[in-house]
Amino acid sequence: MVNVVTSLSRITIMAFVMLFAIVDIVFLFDRKIKEGLQSILLTIQAVMIVLFMINGAVVLYLNTQDFLIILLTAGELLLYLFISIVLNKICIPTSKPLINNVLMLLSFSFITLERLKIASACRQFAFAIISLIIASAVVYFLENFGRVTEYATVYLVIGLLLLLIVSVAGSVQYGAKLSLSFGNISVQPSEFVKITFLFFMGAVIAKYRDVKGFLIASVGAALHVLILVISKDLGTGLIFLVAYVFLIFISYKNYIVLFTELGVAAVGATLAYNMFPHIQTRFIAWSDPLSVIDDQGYQISQSLFAIGTGGWIGSGLCNGMPTKIPVVTKDFIFAAISEEMGAIVGLCLIVIVLCTFFMIFNAAYDLNNSFYMLVINGIGIIFATQALLNIGGVIKFIPSTGVTLPFVSYGGSSLLSMFICIFIIEAAEDFSISIEKENRKREIRTRKKENRTRYEKTRRYE
Amino acid sequence: MKKHADTNSSHKKRKVRKEIYLIAFLFVLIFGVMIYSYVDFLNNGSKDFIYNKYNSRFSVFSDEIVRGNILTADGKTIATTGHDDEGNEIRLYPDERLFCHAVGYVGKGMAGLESQYSFDLLRSHSTLEEQINNSLTGTKSQGDSLVTTLDYETQKAAFSGMGLYDGAVIAIEPDTGKVVAMVSKPDYDPNTIDKYWDDMTGEDSTSSVLLNRATSAAYPPGSTFKIVTTIAYLRQHEGNPDYSFNCKGYFDVEDYRIHCSGNKAHGSEDLMAAFSNSCNSAYANIGVNLDRQKYVQTAEDLLMNGELPTKLSNVKSPKFSIDEDTEESIVAQTAIGQGQTSVSPIYMCMLVSAIANDGILMEPYIGDKIVNAENETVTEYKPTEYGRIMSQEETELLNSYMESVVMDGTAKKVDFGDLTVYGKTGTAEYTSDKSLTHSWFVGYAMNESGKKLAVAVIMEGAGYGSKYAAPLASKVFDSYFR
Repeated sequence: MVNVVTSLSRITIMAFVMLFAIVDIVFLFDRKIKEGLQSILLTIQAVMIVLFMINGAVVLYLNTQDFLIILLTAGELLLYLFISIVLNKICIPTSKPLINNVLMLLSFSFITLERLKIASACRQFAFAIISLIIASAVVYFLENFGRVTEYATVYLVIGLLLLLIVSVAGSVQYGAKLSLSFGNISVQPSEFVKITFLFFMGAVIAKYRDVKGFLIASVGAALHVLILVISKDLGTGLIFLVAYVFLIFISYKNYIVLFTELGVAAVGATLAYNMFPHIQTRFIAWSDPLSVIDDQGYQISQSLFAIGTGGWIGSGLCNGMPTKIPVVTKDFIFAAISEEMGAIVGLCLIVIVLCTFFMIFNAAYDLNNSFYMLVINGIGIIFATQALLNIGGVIKFIPSTGVTLPFVSYGGSSLLSMFICIFIIEAAEDFSISIEKENRKREIRTRKKENRTRYEKTRRYE
Repeated sequence: MKKHADTNSSHKKRKVRKEIYLIAFLFVLIFGVMIYSYVDFLNNGSKDFIYNKYNSRFSVFSDEIVRGNILTADGKTIATTGHDDEGNEIRLYPDERLFCHAVGYVGKGMAGLESQYSFDLLRSHSTLEEQINNSLTGTKSQGDSLVTTLDYETQKAAFSGMGLYDGAVIAIEPDTGKVVAMVSKPDYDPNTIDKYWDDMTGEDSTSSVLLNRATSAAYPPGSTFKIVTTIAYLRQHEGNPDYSFNCKGYFDVEDYRIHCSGNKAHGSEDLMAAFSNSCNSAYANIGVNLDRQKYVQTAEDLLMNGELPTKLSNVKSPKFSIDEDTEESIVAQTAIGQGQTSVSPIYMCMLVSAIANDGILMEPYIGDKIVNAENETVTEYKPTEYGRIMSQEETELLNSYMESVVMDGTAKKVDFGDLTVYGKTGTAEYTSDKSLTHSWFVGYAMNESGKKLAVAVIMEGAGYGSKYAAPLASKVFDSYFR
């Protein structure tokens, strides 16, 4: 009985995810969908998410007989409801399909974590609740903070300080310094520095639209990357680098600068390759993992065993052995999804990630405020780069870099940071308005001042 | 004023768009390549990983599925899953040693077809109804079976014909690449392999019974290599076979003397006579006069020094190396198949099958199709053409030369019955002791209806090719065409 349900659920889950992805593609190709049709499509997606969650929970419950799974799933669905209610309360959401996509990615995360390690799933659920609260607070703050563009130095200093602290006091994981430990909790500051970094870039470029801005942005970005390289957190360093190069390209539209930067990056990459043995190790593990399977190639080989054996249809939840893969809940969660839900679902997940990226770019598209436009484009670039590095590393497309898959991988810092990013995108329209208000206020103030001086001048003149 | 500002901002937006689109396009491109690599891995690359012995998921498969059978082309079961006295599942090989190297084994390790097709044998394509039924009642599903290209009787003839000698026999259908028989000696009983595993694989063990010599051994080719030298000669003389040589029974190169077999003086010969007499003196003479670079090129065009195009696993690449610094005496020895050259029997068989197939090589394969428990085909493996490796003119000449070997050359005393046989014998020295020689025969036979079979036979330390290997080839042909 359990086997039949598990086996058939592979097909139903595939259908739910596939339908969701197809609607995503429809959204992409027709940005000017009529409101009526859009709400129908959004409802279809929402139904797919619920069905996906329930189907996953039923299979997991039948296999493990753990009632906690039912409770968690109920809680998670309730959380989804809250997320959409809260977003609609605190702002006029820029993109509703984007919210659906985030919820879908979260569903992948919850189901897979419940399957892999129920304790992690519980923690991730708690992280999600905390993230919702903090992200809402951030949105509330930014809505009333029109002078957000004036603190470039502050963003830079906070970012660099956080990275420096990790570099000095961080604990070493897999050859890189990534996190700070406070007793039971460990925090990955680099996840939050992504946001301050984008704020810094946006503020500098929006303020000085000339060479000066370019130089300040370049020096700031170089400092970030440098500290990350010293901490050996090369995956994150690469993400910052990509965000910097593309943001400069978007703002200055200069191909010569673009290619020079890419050239410098290539030289830097070669240097890094020669300097760090642990990069070379990862290249070996990537080029021929089976030859070093007892050693550096173990993880990627296990990942490929999982993906290959799972095949197109997958083994069915609880029927595979994804726990054989080291760090499966974080960096290699895609392999677990591909093994048990099948590569077709894996492909759909890639499509959903790509559509999410497009939706983020589209959200920036209609903005009048150049600061938030740059920040949101930056979020999109970071999101896509991170997904590319993560999934590419899991399927042996590129050497593994040890970055997480946004919203899907286990980890509180990453989840919170991504939540804040998505909330910023959804509320960006409102933020722009608050900046405009602030500017207008100031204009009025200066005009008043001018008027007064003129008035005083005339008085004195008289 | 306001209007101006508006056009200005929309102008800016349009300019911004282009760069954003470019970046978006770049990401789509990279994602696209990634998706391609993912799909490609699942379609082509994944088998290397799935079959890997480190992949612990196999144990899960065999919990739910009974490993399928392996059958010969004529439907005889040569590997199956049964039960021992305590009711545990065990792998059974009804013919014991007969198919050991071709089929391989499952035990402490895996080899041969058992390893190569393990994934397919542990999958079940029985009807959905039955699968649901099985999972309801908790019985295991029957795994799919592998039908091979092997022919039971031909395999048996090759196996018993080897007698007590070590060596290998491989027989391939030239027009399809189907491997009809594959024997390697010494052999082992795959039924009891676990019991003797440590003896066979232990550090002290000198035996190499697990080695499939038909595909994985490196032998000196001896005179069978004169086929390659002949082609090299033709290619360096615009396909013109005019050649004359007066054989005195030996040929001096520098201070090294090459002898003809039994020191026999063959007298005045053309190329055909030199080939059919397997005249070492003539071929040493041909060899030293060849352009070395082009000679190597010919060998490599005939697939030496590279990976052989075949679906069989663990195939040894044939090695051929001479260059400008090689001593002349070594070149002379290389031309007659001694020297540094090494080949596996499957390579010689592929070479001959290309000659038999008008110069077009078919890739050898042994797994013919996967069928489910109801004997319905799940996957069928089609013959694959590698391409032309020699011209039609070359094959016509070689055919006439190889026919004359059998009619009035070194193999004229061998009885091949009614079949038309084209072949080349070889007697290869493999140590400094010249009285110890491997016995080679490579060639193909054709019956009245035009059906062909190529074989390569090597019997280690047996002696003259014409005395041992060629008669065994005759038995193989006989049982195949009967």
